[in-house]
Amino acid sequence: MALNTLEFDCKAEAASVRLAAPVHYGVVGSGDLEVILEPCDLGGGVKVKVTTPISGFDAVWRKVVETFVNRARLADVAIDINDNNASPAVVSMRLQQALAETAA
Amino acid sequence: MPNWSKLQTRSFLESSARERALGLVDEGTFTELAGPFDRMSSPHLVALGEAVEFDDGVVTGVGRIGKRPVFVISQEGRFIGGAVGEVGGAKMVTTIDLAVAFAEELRAANPKIAADELPLVAISFETGGVRLHESNAGLLAHAEVMDAFQRARGKVPVVALIGSRIGCFGGMGFVAAATDVIVMSEFGRLGLTGPEVIEEEMGKDEFDASNRALVYRTTGGRHKYIMGDCNFLVDDRVAAFRAQVAELCRLPVADFEQFRRIGSAALVEKQMRLVALAAEMQPKDAYDVWRRAGNNDPAGLGDAPVDDFRKQAQRLSV
Amino acid sequence: MDTLIGQGLVALEMIVDPGSFQRDRVGAKEFTDESYGPGAVVGTATLDGQTVTVIASDAEAFNEKFPVVYAGIIGMEEGYKMASAVYATLAADVDKPAAQKRPLVLIVDTPGNGPGKVEEIFGMNKATGAYQLALAEARMAGHPIVAAVVGRAISGAFLCHGLQADRIVALDAKFGTMIHVMPLTSVSRIIKKNIEVLEELSKSNPVFAAGPQFFYQLGGVEALVPEIEGLRGAVIEQVAALRAAKAKGEATGPVGRAALGAARGGRVTRPQVAARMTAEFAAVADKYRPHA
Repeated sequence: MALNTLEFDCKAEAASVRLAAPVHYGVVGSGDLEVILEPCDLGGGVKVKVTTPISGFDAVWRKVVETFVNRARLADVAIDINDNNASPAVVSMRLQQALAETAA
Repeated sequence: MPNWSKLQTRSFLESSARERALGLVDEGTFTELAGPFDRMSSPHLVALGEAVEFDDGVVTGVGRIGKRPVFVISQEGRFIGGAVGEVGGAKMVTTIDLAVAFAEELRAANPKIAADELPLVAISFETGGVRLHESNAGLLAHAEVMDAFQRARGKVPVVALIGSRIGCFGGMGFVAAATDVIVMSEFGRLGLTGPEVIEEEMGKDEFDASNRALVYRTTGGRHKYIMGDCNFLVDDRVAAFRAQVAELCRLPVADFEQFRRIGSAALVEKQMRLVALAAEMQPKDAYDVWRRAGNNDPAGLGDAPVDDFRKQAQRLSV
Repeated sequence: MDTLIGQGLVALEMIVDPGSFQRDRVGAKEFTDESYGPGAVVGTATLDGQTVTVIASDAEAFNEKFPVVYAGIIGMEEGYKMASAVYATLAADVDKPAAQKRPLVLIVDTPGNGPGKVEEIFGMNKATGAYQLALAEARMAGHPIVAAVVGRAISGAFLCHGLQADRIVALDAKFGTMIHVMPLTSVSRIIKKNIEVLEELSKSNPVFAAGPQFFYQLGGVEALVPEIEGLRGAVIEQVAALRAAKAKGEATGPVGRAALGAARGGRVTRPQVAARMTAEFAAVADKYRPHA
């Protein structure tokens, strides 16, 4: 029954965008999530951690986060997510919004 | 960080706990304590396999309004209804403790320190009380917050802000009642027993929890204003709550006793007169009490724009 | 005798000196209206020769004006009556030094606060809040306050009548003593977790299960009393210990119980949070000083 933790690494095809500062975004409402993006020396890669009560969607998580990382061309970022059953569309949107906060 | 100026124009009701905290104090002055980057989530939710939040659903920190250090506690209703557990409770208590210790330190360093340079605590409530997943720890935390309020008496004013979706119920209803000043919007709700529980206890004929108008006129901001339970009824904007707190920030701590509804023998006597009125009236509806207070058209007053309501409403006196 | 549930007044007589309880009188104050807050019993007794204020719930009483009050429920009148008894206690000893202020003994057997429409219209939350603030004030003024949980100490009613005491003793669970927010079956239904799983988890984590032993582990009660005959001795002992603790400035009440919860391994996260916040504030405090 314990909370599931999913951890994986990925790398953007054209990794070039680094964060100036860490950012936190979102609230863990029902069907929602929060995310922390933090600069972290990872040799250009991205480290991902997802904490969620739902199990069995590892491949979906990987796909959604990798798509985000590729599109944003992120490099050297640690992504830490607390999820409460968010849909892939919501996950995608929250990641984008978190990134937009760093630019603001 | 959300844009501070934009935050000011936002609906308080629609704002997250962090937005309310940031918007309440002067731009750029807020330092969050035990914020999300500290990742102090609830270990008890983890053990139960429940979703966690990095801040455990309560934003705590310190900012300034003018010269005054303002310690802020802001509860997030979207995370488990803003319910209080071990971590969130500890954050509330520690924030008050830090404010009191800071006040004592500043006064010791300069006994002639100006009133508006001493700390104030503002709490944006959005909670149904104890978090059942860690109910025992949550209950004990409530007692600690109440104790902290009494320790803060005469040292640091404590202001309650209530205007968020969940309202302020359960044990946190007592806690809010025990603050110095209560500021509400018409969308804020304050009470002990939530509408669903009353319906369950008394039957749907007596209290229909799905009747929003009934729920609001029993525990909502307008009603609490007429009863004298909320001191100030403000518009549903972050800027309006902020302006009210800023005005209170000008007052020395001793002046805050005048706003209290409980906390002394004399105030208890006054509340007993109110209860005597309740026994005599046996009101079927909050509007009966509005009428008793001198409002001849309670329904009209209930539907009036809040600005007109503030101008016209007669408040109950006993 | 296998339980004291519903027998708060019997427990009261067992705890104080035999025949010493004078109902409806606290210091100079007399509670003359019998119909006012009948669910709350207040008065003065002696305990091992010392004058004490006693506050209890009467499970037999029914409040005709506020029919949600029965079986020991604390309603609006009851809450204010209890608060008045505390203020009368403060007034009675106002000129005495802290070390000589009379103790308060709270006999705890209450299933809840008054839930009702009239209660919400008039603000039940104030009544119980008022009583808690009064107790906290008396505790800080030096009055030793001991709560004895002899039956039901449920959720908000325990917050109101019990958790502001300096020290809390609870009769062992074998006498049916109940301390909880909700029974585990209700918790299970509401948080949608299997009851067996919750029962298993509660063996290692005391934070959600119902029962005095779990509150003991969390520091929520100072001591469990194994036998009914031991209640009087336990209360006398706590009063004496409190005189000493207060003279030394030791933490009692909710702050003392937080430390106890950490020491007993039941609430270990709380001090970590406090330490982190204190360190973080110390690092920025200069920004919030005058003329910074």
